[in-house]
Amino acid sequence: MTQKEILDELKALIVERLKFDPRRAADMTAETTLPKGLEGSLGLDSLDFIELSVAMEERFGIVIDETESLTDEFLSLDSLSRFVLSKVK
Amino acid sequence: MTRVVVSGLGVVSPYGVGAKTFWAGLARGDCAIRPLTVIDTEGFRSRIAAEVPAEVLPTLGVSRRRSRADRIALAAAREALAEADLTPADRANTGLFVGAVGGGMLEGEEWYCEEARTGRLSPRLRALRSILPVSHAESLAWRLRLGGPRETVVMACASGAASIALGADMIRSGGTPLVLAGGVDAITRICFMGFNALKLLDPEPCRPFDRGRRGMSIGEAAAFLVLEDAEHCRARGARVLGELLGAGMTTDAHHVTAPHPEGEGMIRAMAEALAAGDRDPADIGYVNAHGTGTPQNDRVEALALARVFGEGRVLVSSTKSLVGHTMAAAGSVEAAATLLTLQHGLVPPTANLREPDPDVPFDCVPGCARPVELRTALSNSFGFGGQNVSLVFGR
Repeated sequence: MTQKEILDELKALIVERLKFDPRRAADMTAETTLPKGLEGSLGLDSLDFIELSVAMEERFGIVIDETESLTDEFLSLDSLSRFVLSKVK
Repeated sequence: MTRVVVSGLGVVSPYGVGAKTFWAGLARGDCAIRPLTVIDTEGFRSRIAAEVPAEVLPTLGVSRRRSRADRIALAAAREALAEADLTPADRANTGLFVGAVGGGMLEGEEWYCEEARTGRLSPRLRALRSILPVSHAESLAWRLRLGGPRETVVMACASGAASIALGADMIRSGGTPLVLAGGVDAITRICFMGFNALKLLDPEPCRPFDRGRRGMSIGEAAAFLVLEDAEHCRARGARVLGELLGAGMTTDAHHVTAPHPEGEGMIRAMAEALAAGDRDPADIGYVNAHGTGTPQNDRVEALALARVFGEGRVLVSSTKSLVGHTMAAAGSVEAAATLLTLQHGLVPPTANLREPDPDVPFDCVPGCARPVELRTALSNSFGFGGQNVSLVFGR
Protein backbone atom coordinates (compact mmCIF):
# COMPACT_ATOMS: atom_id res chain seq x y z
CA MET A 1 0.00 0.00 0.00
CA THR A 2 1.15 3.55 -0.66
CA GLN A 3 0.86 6.36 1.84
CA LYS A 4 -1.79 7.96 -0.35
CA GLU A 5 -3.90 4.77 -0.29
CA ILE A 6 -3.53 4.54 3.48
CA LEU A 7 -4.54 8.17 3.83
CA ASP A 8 -7.73 7.53 1.83
CA GLU A 9 -8.52 4.45 3.92
CA LEU A 10 -8.03 6.46 7.11
CA LYS A 11 -10.46 9.09 5.87
CA ALA A 12 -12.96 6.33 5.08
CA LEU A 13 -12.54 4.82 8.56
CA ILE A 14 -13.10 8.22 10.17
CA VAL A 15 -16.41 8.49 8.30
CA GLU A 16 -17.53 4.87 8.73
CA ARG A 17 -16.38 4.07 12.23
CA LEU A 18 -16.26 7.47 13.91
CA LYS A 19 -19.41 8.64 12.10
CA PHE A 20 -17.91 11.84 10.74
CA ASP A 21 -19.87 13.80 8.17
CA PRO A 22 -18.60 12.66 4.73
CA ARG A 23 -18.65 16.29 3.55
CA ARG A 24 -16.21 17.17 6.29
CA ALA A 25 -14.08 14.19 5.33
CA ALA A 26 -13.81 15.56 1.82
CA ASP A 27 -12.11 18.66 3.26
CA MET A 28 -9.50 16.60 5.14
CA THR A 29 -5.93 16.87 3.92
CA ALA A 30 -2.74 15.17 5.04
CA GLU A 31 -2.07 18.16 7.27
CA THR A 32 -5.42 17.96 9.07
CA THR A 33 -4.73 17.43 12.77
CA LEU A 34 -6.74 14.97 14.85
CA PRO A 35 -6.84 15.60 18.64
CA LYS A 36 -9.38 17.94 20.08
CA GLY A 37 -8.06 21.20 21.48
CA LEU A 38 -5.91 21.96 18.42
CA GLU A 39 -7.01 24.81 16.16
CA GLY A 40 -8.75 23.41 13.04
CA SER A 41 -8.44 19.77 14.14
CA LEU A 42 -11.04 17.03 13.69
CA GLY A 43 -11.53 17.16 17.46
CA LEU A 44 -11.08 13.45 18.24
CA ASP A 45 -11.38 12.55 21.93
CA SER A 46 -9.93 9.57 23.81
CA LEU A 47 -12.83 7.26 22.92
CA ASP A 48 -12.49 8.22 19.24
CA PHE A 49 -8.80 7.27 19.37
CA ILE A 50 -9.66 3.87 20.87
CA GLU A 51 -12.26 3.23 18.15
CA LEU A 52 -9.87 4.43 15.46
CA SER A 53 -7.10 2.15 16.78
CA VAL A 54 -9.42 -0.87 16.69
CA ALA A 55 -10.60 0.08 13.20
CA MET A 56 -7.01 0.50 11.98
CA GLU A 57 -5.92 -2.84 13.41
CA GLU A 58 -8.81 -4.60 11.71
CA ARG A 59 -8.56 -2.71 8.40
CA PHE A 60 -4.78 -2.89 7.96
CA GLY A 61 -4.12 -6.13 9.87
CA ILE A 62 -1.57 -4.41 12.10
CA VAL A 63 -0.99 -4.54 15.85
CA ILE A 64 -0.64 -1.29 17.76
CA ASP A 65 1.16 -1.45 21.11
CA GLU A 66 -1.27 -0.34 23.80
CA THR A 67 1.39 0.57 26.33
CA GLU A 68 3.33 2.91 24.06
CA SER A 69 2.53 6.62 23.94
CA LEU A 70 1.61 7.42 20.33
CA THR A 71 0.68 11.09 20.72
CA ASP A 72 3.00 12.16 17.89
CA GLU A 73 1.81 9.40 15.55
CA PHE A 74 -1.86 10.27 16.09
CA LEU A 75 -1.25 14.02 15.63
CA SER A 76 -2.28 14.36 11.99
CA LEU A 77 -3.46 12.27 9.06
CA ASP A 78 0.04 12.60 7.61
CA SER A 79 1.81 11.28 10.72
CA LEU A 80 -0.81 8.56 11.17
CA SER A 81 -0.57 7.34 7.59
CA ARG A 82 3.25 7.22 7.86
CA PHE A 83 2.87 5.22 11.09
CA VAL A 84 0.54 2.72 9.38
CA LEU A 85 2.87 2.53 6.37
CA SER A 86 5.76 1.55 8.67
CA LYS A 87 3.58 -1.19 10.18
CA VAL A 88 2.22 -2.71 6.96
CA LYS A 89 5.62 -2.82 5.23
CA MET B 1 -48.06 -19.82 13.56
CA THR B 2 -44.85 -18.42 12.08
CA ARG B 3 -42.26 -21.13 11.56
CA VAL B 4 -38.71 -20.24 12.54
CA VAL B 5 -35.82 -21.78 10.62
CA VAL B 6 -32.05 -21.56 10.98
CA SER B 7 -30.32 -20.09 7.93
CA GLY B 8 -26.84 -19.47 9.31
CA LEU B 9 -24.49 -20.98 11.86
CA GLY B 10 -21.13 -19.84 13.22
CA VAL B 11 -18.95 -21.30 15.96
CA VAL B 12 -15.57 -20.54 17.51
CA SER B 13 -14.82 -23.40 19.88
CA PRO B 14 -11.91 -25.07 21.64
CA TYR B 15 -11.43 -26.96 18.36
CA GLY B 16 -10.81 -23.70 16.49
CA VAL B 17 -12.70 -21.54 14.01
CA GLY B 18 -15.83 -22.52 12.16
CA ALA B 19 -18.85 -24.76 12.44
CA LYS B 20 -17.11 -27.39 10.26
CA THR B 21 -14.12 -27.56 12.61
CA PHE B 22 -16.50 -27.75 15.56
CA TRP B 23 -18.44 -30.62 14.04
CA ALA B 24 -15.29 -32.50 13.04
CA GLY B 25 -14.10 -32.38 16.67
CA LEU B 26 -17.44 -33.55 18.04
CA ALA B 27 -17.71 -36.34 15.47
CA ARG B 28 -14.23 -37.57 16.33
CA GLY B 29 -15.09 -37.43 20.02
CA ASP B 30 -11.96 -35.36 20.75
CA CYS B 31 -11.87 -34.15 24.32
CA ALA B 32 -10.49 -30.58 24.12
CA ILE B 33 -10.07 -30.20 27.89
CA ARG B 34 -6.38 -29.54 28.63
CA PRO B 35 -4.11 -27.70 31.10
CA LEU B 36 -5.35 -24.13 31.44
CA THR B 37 -3.00 -21.41 30.15
CA VAL B 38 -5.10 -18.22 30.04
CA ILE B 39 -5.01 -17.72 33.81
CA ASP B 40 -2.78 -18.93 36.63
CA THR B 41 -4.30 -21.93 38.43
CA GLU B 42 -1.54 -22.65 40.96
CA GLY B 43 -3.04 -24.35 44.02
CA PHE B 44 -6.51 -24.96 42.56
CA ARG B 45 -8.53 -28.14 42.82
CA SER B 46 -8.80 -28.20 39.04
CA ARG B 47 -6.20 -26.82 36.62
CA ILE B 48 -7.76 -27.76 33.29
CA ALA B 49 -10.25 -26.25 30.86
CA ALA B 50 -11.21 -26.21 27.19
CA GLU B 51 -9.63 -23.06 25.75
CA VAL B 52 -9.90 -21.58 22.30
CA PRO B 53 -6.36 -22.35 21.05
CA ALA B 54 -3.96 -19.39 21.39
CA GLU B 55 -2.84 -19.68 17.77
CA VAL B 56 -6.44 -19.24 16.58
CA LEU B 57 -7.06 -15.77 18.06
CA PRO B 58 -4.72 -13.78 15.76
CA THR B 59 -6.36 -15.41 12.71
CA LEU B 60 -9.85 -14.08 13.47
CA GLY B 61 -9.32 -10.71 11.76
CA VAL B 62 -10.44 -8.92 14.93
CA SER B 63 -8.34 -6.34 16.78
CA ARG B 64 -6.70 -7.69 19.91
CA ARG B 65 -7.77 -4.49 21.62
CA ARG B 66 -11.20 -6.06 21.80
CA SER B 67 -11.87 -8.44 24.67
CA ARG B 68 -11.12 -12.13 24.12
CA ALA B 69 -14.86 -12.78 24.32
CA ASP B 70 -15.65 -10.07 21.73
CA ARG B 71 -13.00 -11.48 19.41
CA ILE B 72 -14.49 -14.96 19.33
CA ALA B 73 -18.05 -13.57 19.28
CA LEU B 74 -17.35 -11.40 16.23
CA ALA B 75 -15.77 -14.28 14.34
CA ALA B 76 -18.63 -16.67 15.11
CA ALA B 77 -21.28 -14.06 14.28
CA ARG B 78 -19.57 -13.20 10.99
CA GLU B 79 -19.56 -16.84 9.97
CA ALA B 80 -23.28 -17.19 10.73
CA LEU B 81 -24.19 -14.02 8.81
CA ALA B 82 -22.00 -15.02 5.85
CA GLU B 83 -23.66 -18.41 5.63
CA ALA B 84 -27.12 -16.82 5.74
CA ASP B 85 -25.96 -14.56 2.90
CA LEU B 86 -27.80 -11.47 4.14
CA THR B 87 -27.81 -8.21 2.19
CA PRO B 88 -26.97 -4.93 3.96
CA ALA B 89 -30.71 -4.16 3.86
CA ASP B 90 -31.47 -7.48 5.62
CA ARG B 91 -28.84 -6.70 8.25
CA ALA B 92 -30.29 -3.27 8.86
CA ASN B 93 -33.42 -5.07 10.03
CA THR B 94 -31.79 -8.03 11.84
CA GLY B 95 -32.37 -8.37 15.58
CA LEU B 96 -29.59 -9.38 17.94
CA PHE B 97 -29.95 -11.59 21.04
CA VAL B 98 -26.72 -12.29 22.90
CA GLY B 99 -26.38 -14.67 25.82
CA ALA B 100 -23.59 -13.33 28.01
CA VAL B 101 -22.30 -13.47 31.55
CA GLY B 102 -18.55 -12.84 31.76
CA GLY B 103 -18.36 -9.94 29.29
CA GLY B 104 -14.81 -8.62 29.00
CA MET B 105 -14.06 -9.55 32.60
CA LEU B 106 -10.80 -11.31 31.72
CA GLU B 107 -9.31 -8.02 30.49
CA GLY B 108 -10.88 -6.16 33.40
CA GLU B 109 -9.17 -8.55 35.79
CA GLU B 110 -5.84 -8.05 34.01
CA TRP B 111 -6.24 -4.28 34.16
CA TYR B 112 -6.95 -4.41 37.88
CA CYS B 113 -4.12 -6.87 38.61
CA GLU B 114 -1.66 -4.67 36.74
CA GLU B 115 -2.66 -1.64 38.76
CA ALA B 116 -2.51 -3.62 42.01
CA ARG B 117 0.94 -4.94 41.11
CA THR B 118 2.55 -1.73 39.88
CA GLY B 119 0.63 0.86 41.87
CA ARG B 120 0.07 2.78 38.63
CA LEU B 121 -3.02 3.17 36.51
CA SER B 122 -2.73 0.82 33.53
CA PRO B 123 -2.93 2.56 30.16
CA ARG B 124 -5.10 -0.24 28.77
CA LEU B 125 -8.29 1.67 29.41
CA ARG B 126 -10.05 -0.09 26.54
CA ALA B 127 -10.30 -3.08 28.90
CA LEU B 128 -12.77 -1.26 31.10
CA ARG B 129 -15.01 -0.24 28.23
CA SER B 130 -15.94 -3.80 27.33
CA ILE B 131 -16.23 -5.25 30.82
CA LEU B 132 -20.04 -5.52 30.96
CA PRO B 133 -21.94 -8.43 29.40
CA VAL B 134 -23.93 -5.96 27.26
CA SER B 135 -20.74 -4.83 25.53
CA HIS B 136 -20.77 -7.85 23.18
CA ALA B 137 -24.08 -6.76 21.69
CA GLU B 138 -22.69 -3.26 21.17
CA SER B 139 -19.59 -4.58 19.40
CA LEU B 140 -21.58 -7.01 17.26
CA ALA B 141 -24.28 -4.54 16.27
CA TRP B 142 -21.81 -1.80 15.40
CA ARG B 143 -19.31 -3.93 13.57
CA LEU B 144 -21.82 -6.06 11.69
CA ARG B 145 -24.34 -3.28 11.14
CA LEU B 146 -27.30 -5.03 12.68
CA GLY B 147 -30.12 -2.56 13.01
CA GLY B 148 -33.03 -4.52 14.48
CA PRO B 149 -34.04 -4.93 18.12
CA ARG B 150 -31.20 -5.86 20.47
CA GLU B 151 -31.13 -7.69 23.78
CA THR B 152 -28.53 -9.17 26.10
CA VAL B 153 -29.76 -12.25 27.92
CA VAL B 154 -28.09 -12.93 31.25
CA MET B 155 -29.39 -16.28 32.49
CA ALA B 156 -26.24 -18.00 33.73
CA CYS B 157 -25.56 -21.27 31.92
CA ALA B 158 -28.90 -21.09 30.10
CA SER B 159 -28.14 -17.68 28.50
CA GLY B 160 -27.19 -18.99 25.05
CA ALA B 161 -30.28 -21.18 24.79
CA ALA B 162 -32.56 -18.45 26.16
CA SER B 163 -31.26 -15.98 23.57
CA ILE B 164 -32.37 -18.41 20.84
CA ALA B 165 -35.78 -18.96 22.45
CA LEU B 166 -36.35 -15.22 22.88
CA GLY B 167 -35.02 -14.38 19.42
CA ALA B 168 -37.49 -16.84 17.91
CA ASP B 169 -40.29 -15.22 19.92
CA MET B 170 -39.29 -11.86 18.48
CA ILE B 171 -39.70 -13.29 14.97
CA ARG B 172 -43.04 -14.94 15.84
CA SER B 173 -44.36 -11.73 17.33
CA GLY B 174 -43.63 -9.95 14.04
CA GLY B 175 -40.88 -7.73 15.43
CA THR B 176 -38.43 -8.69 12.68
CA PRO B 177 -38.06 -11.62 10.27
CA LEU B 178 -34.35 -12.07 11.07
CA VAL B 179 -32.47 -12.49 14.34
CA LEU B 180 -28.83 -13.27 15.09
CA ALA B 181 -29.01 -15.23 18.35
CA GLY B 182 -26.37 -17.00 20.37
CA GLY B 183 -23.98 -16.68 23.23
CA VAL B 184 -20.39 -16.08 24.14
CA ASP B 185 -18.12 -16.52 27.13
CA ALA B 186 -14.35 -16.46 27.52
CA ILE B 187 -12.57 -18.00 30.47
CA THR B 188 -12.24 -15.54 33.36
CA ARG B 189 -10.66 -15.74 36.78
CA ILE B 190 -13.91 -14.94 38.54
CA CYS B 191 -15.74 -17.79 36.83
CA PHE B 192 -12.97 -20.36 37.20
CA MET B 193 -12.18 -19.43 40.78
CA GLY B 194 -15.86 -19.29 41.70
CA PHE B 195 -16.59 -22.79 40.48
CA ASN B 196 -13.32 -23.98 41.97
CA ALA B 197 -14.34 -22.56 45.36
CA LEU B 198 -17.76 -24.21 45.07
CA LYS B 199 -15.86 -27.50 44.56
CA LEU B 200 -17.77 -28.02 41.33
CA LEU B 201 -14.71 -28.56 39.08
CA ASP B 202 -13.45 -32.05 38.33
CA PRO B 203 -9.62 -32.18 38.58
CA GLU B 204 -9.77 -34.54 35.59
CA PRO B 205 -11.65 -33.85 32.33
CA CYS B 206 -15.35 -33.97 33.25
CA ARG B 207 -17.22 -37.29 32.99
CA PRO B 208 -20.92 -36.59 32.67
CA PHE B 209 -23.21 -39.48 33.70
CA ASP B 210 -20.24 -41.49 35.02
CA ARG B 211 -20.55 -43.05 38.46
CA GLY B 212 -17.26 -41.43 39.52
CA ARG B 213 -17.96 -37.92 38.16
CA ARG B 214 -16.64 -35.11 40.33
CA GLY B 215 -17.76 -31.96 38.61
CA MET B 216 -17.55 -29.90 35.47
CA SER B 217 -14.76 -28.64 33.23
CA ILE B 218 -14.96 -25.04 32.13
CA GLY B 219 -14.69 -24.11 28.47
CA GLU B 220 -14.96 -21.03 26.30
CA ALA B 221 -16.67 -20.48 22.98
CA ALA B 222 -19.01 -18.39 20.90
CA ALA B 223 -21.84 -19.72 18.77
CA PHE B 224 -24.47 -17.83 16.78
CA LEU B 225 -27.47 -18.88 14.73
CA VAL B 226 -29.31 -16.81 12.17
CA LEU B 227 -32.97 -17.40 12.94
CA GLU B 228 -35.43 -16.49 10.24
CA ASP B 229 -39.12 -16.46 9.49
CA ALA B 230 -39.47 -19.54 7.22
CA GLU B 231 -41.49 -17.57 4.64
CA HIS B 232 -38.87 -14.83 4.52
CA CYS B 233 -36.14 -17.42 4.10
CA ARG B 234 -38.02 -19.16 1.28
CA ALA B 235 -38.77 -15.88 -0.49
CA ARG B 236 -35.11 -14.96 -0.70
CA GLY B 237 -34.11 -18.48 -1.68
CA ALA B 238 -31.77 -19.06 1.26
CA ARG B 239 -30.65 -22.49 2.46
CA VAL B 240 -32.38 -23.93 5.54
CA LEU B 241 -30.07 -25.68 8.02
CA GLY B 242 -32.84 -26.79 10.36
CA GLU B 243 -35.95 -25.62 12.14
CA LEU B 244 -36.47 -24.44 15.69
CA LEU B 245 -39.71 -26.28 16.39
CA GLY B 246 -40.28 -25.18 19.95
CA ALA B 247 -38.77 -23.81 23.12
CA GLY B 248 -39.63 -24.08 26.80
CA MET B 249 -38.40 -21.73 29.53
CA THR B 250 -39.09 -22.28 33.23
CA THR B 251 -37.73 -21.36 36.64
CA ASP B 252 -37.35 -23.67 39.65
CA ALA B 253 -37.60 -20.87 42.22
CA HIS B 254 -35.99 -23.35 44.58
CA HIS B 255 -32.30 -22.72 45.40
CA VAL B 256 -29.38 -20.43 44.55
CA THR B 257 -27.22 -23.16 43.00
CA ALA B 258 -28.93 -26.55 43.35
CA PRO B 259 -31.57 -27.77 40.90
CA HIS B 260 -35.00 -28.76 42.24
CA PRO B 261 -34.40 -32.28 43.68
CA GLU B 262 -37.12 -33.85 41.49
CA GLY B 263 -36.22 -31.81 38.40
CA GLU B 264 -39.61 -30.13 38.45
CA GLY B 265 -38.55 -27.08 36.41
CA MET B 266 -36.51 -29.20 33.97
CA ILE B 267 -39.50 -31.43 33.29
CA ARG B 268 -41.74 -28.43 32.62
CA ALA B 269 -39.15 -26.87 30.28
CA MET B 270 -38.89 -30.04 28.19
CA ALA B 271 -42.67 -30.57 28.18
CA GLU B 272 -43.28 -26.95 27.11
CA ALA B 273 -40.71 -27.19 24.32
CA LEU B 274 -42.32 -30.40 23.02
CA ALA B 275 -45.82 -28.90 23.23
CA ALA B 276 -44.69 -25.70 21.49
CA GLY B 277 -43.23 -27.79 18.69
CA ASP B 278 -46.31 -30.03 18.59
CA ARG B 279 -44.13 -33.10 19.15
CA ASP B 280 -44.51 -36.13 21.40
CA PRO B 281 -41.61 -37.43 23.50
CA ALA B 282 -41.49 -40.45 21.17
CA ASP B 283 -40.66 -38.14 18.24
CA ILE B 284 -37.36 -37.14 19.82
CA GLY B 285 -34.42 -39.34 18.86
CA TYR B 286 -31.66 -37.55 20.74
CA VAL B 287 -31.19 -35.24 23.71
CA ASN B 288 -28.12 -33.03 23.93
CA ALA B 289 -28.10 -32.96 27.72
CA HIS B 290 -27.10 -30.09 29.95
CA GLY B 291 -24.87 -32.86 31.37
CA THR B 292 -22.37 -30.79 33.34
CA GLY B 293 -20.75 -33.73 35.13
CA THR B 294 -21.62 -32.42 38.60
CA PRO B 295 -23.10 -35.11 40.85
CA GLN B 296 -26.31 -33.12 41.33
CA ASN B 297 -27.09 -31.95 37.81
CA ASP B 298 -26.64 -35.29 36.12
CA ARG B 299 -28.68 -37.17 38.72
CA VAL B 300 -31.59 -34.72 38.57
CA GLU B 301 -31.44 -34.31 34.79
CA ALA B 302 -31.61 -38.10 34.39
CA LEU B 303 -34.66 -38.14 36.68
CA ALA B 304 -36.31 -35.42 34.61
CA LEU B 305 -35.46 -37.15 31.32
CA ALA B 306 -36.94 -40.40 32.64
CA ARG B 307 -40.14 -38.58 33.60
CA VAL B 308 -40.48 -36.95 30.17
CA PHE B 309 -39.27 -39.71 27.83
CA GLY B 310 -39.39 -42.90 29.91
CA GLU B 311 -36.27 -44.76 31.06
CA GLY B 312 -33.93 -45.63 28.20
CA ARG B 313 -36.35 -44.28 25.57
CA VAL B 314 -34.02 -41.68 24.04
CA LEU B 315 -30.31 -41.36 23.26
CA VAL B 316 -28.57 -38.85 25.52
CA SER B 317 -25.10 -37.35 25.33
CA SER B 318 -23.21 -34.45 26.83
CA THR B 319 -20.97 -32.49 24.47
CA LYS B 320 -19.63 -30.67 27.56
CA SER B 321 -17.40 -33.72 27.96
CA LEU B 322 -15.76 -32.65 24.67
CA VAL B 323 -15.63 -28.83 24.72
CA GLY B 324 -16.22 -28.14 28.40
CA HIS B 325 -18.98 -26.05 29.91
CA THR B 326 -18.82 -22.87 27.88
CA MET B 327 -21.07 -20.98 30.32
CA ALA B 328 -23.18 -18.30 28.61
CA ALA B 329 -22.25 -19.78 25.24
CA ALA B 330 -23.17 -23.36 26.21
CA GLY B 331 -26.83 -23.19 25.18
CA SER B 332 -25.99 -21.89 21.72
CA VAL B 333 -22.94 -24.14 21.29
CA GLU B 334 -25.17 -27.11 22.09
CA ALA B 335 -27.95 -25.83 19.84
CA ALA B 336 -25.33 -25.79 17.07
CA ALA B 337 -24.22 -29.31 18.04
CA THR B 338 -27.84 -30.50 17.98
CA LEU B 339 -28.48 -29.00 14.51
CA LEU B 340 -25.29 -30.58 13.17
CA THR B 341 -26.22 -33.91 14.77
CA LEU B 342 -29.55 -33.85 12.90
CA GLN B 343 -27.87 -32.82 9.66
CA HIS B 344 -25.23 -35.54 9.77
CA GLY B 345 -27.27 -38.33 11.38
CA LEU B 346 -24.43 -38.89 13.84
CA VAL B 347 -24.72 -38.52 17.62
CA PRO B 348 -21.60 -37.06 19.26
CA PRO B 349 -20.41 -39.14 22.20
CA THR B 350 -20.09 -38.48 25.91
CA ALA B 351 -16.32 -38.57 26.38
CA ASN B 352 -14.63 -39.93 29.51
CA LEU B 353 -17.70 -42.02 30.39
CA ARG B 354 -16.33 -45.35 31.54
CA GLU B 355 -18.58 -46.53 34.37
CA PRO B 356 -22.17 -45.51 33.70
CA ASP B 357 -24.03 -44.27 36.78
CA PRO B 358 -26.80 -46.80 37.60
CA ASP B 359 -29.00 -43.79 38.49
CA VAL B 360 -28.86 -42.70 34.84
CA PRO B 361 -31.10 -45.14 32.98
CA PHE B 362 -30.10 -44.01 29.49
CA ASP B 363 -27.66 -44.92 26.73
CA CYS B 364 -25.32 -41.93 26.98
CA VAL B 365 -23.29 -42.85 23.86
CA PRO B 366 -19.95 -43.39 25.61
CA GLY B 367 -16.65 -42.96 23.80
CA CYS B 368 -17.40 -42.65 20.11
CA ALA B 369 -20.05 -41.09 17.90
CA ARG B 370 -22.93 -43.22 16.69
CA PRO B 371 -24.74 -43.04 13.34
CA VAL B 372 -28.49 -42.69 13.92
CA GLU B 373 -31.20 -41.51 11.54
CA LEU B 374 -32.81 -38.57 13.31
CA ARG B 375 -35.62 -36.16 12.51
CA THR B 376 -36.04 -34.29 15.78
CA ALA B 377 -33.77 -33.62 18.76
CA LEU B 378 -33.89 -31.66 21.98
CA SER B 379 -31.20 -29.59 23.70
CA ASN B 380 -31.26 -28.82 27.43
CA SER B 381 -29.63 -25.88 29.22
CA PHE B 382 -30.10 -25.45 32.94
CA GLY B 383 -28.59 -22.41 34.63
CA PHE B 384 -27.76 -21.74 38.26
CA GLY B 385 -30.74 -20.59 40.23
CA GLY B 386 -33.02 -23.02 38.39
CA GLN B 387 -33.20 -21.27 35.01
CA ASN B 388 -34.26 -23.98 32.59
CA VAL B 389 -34.42 -23.79 28.82
CA SER B 390 -35.16 -26.63 26.39
CA LEU B 391 -35.05 -26.24 22.60
CA VAL B 392 -36.53 -28.69 20.08
CA PHE B 393 -34.95 -28.71 16.63
CA GLY B 394 -36.05 -30.48 13.46
CA ARG B 395 -34.13 -31.29 10.33
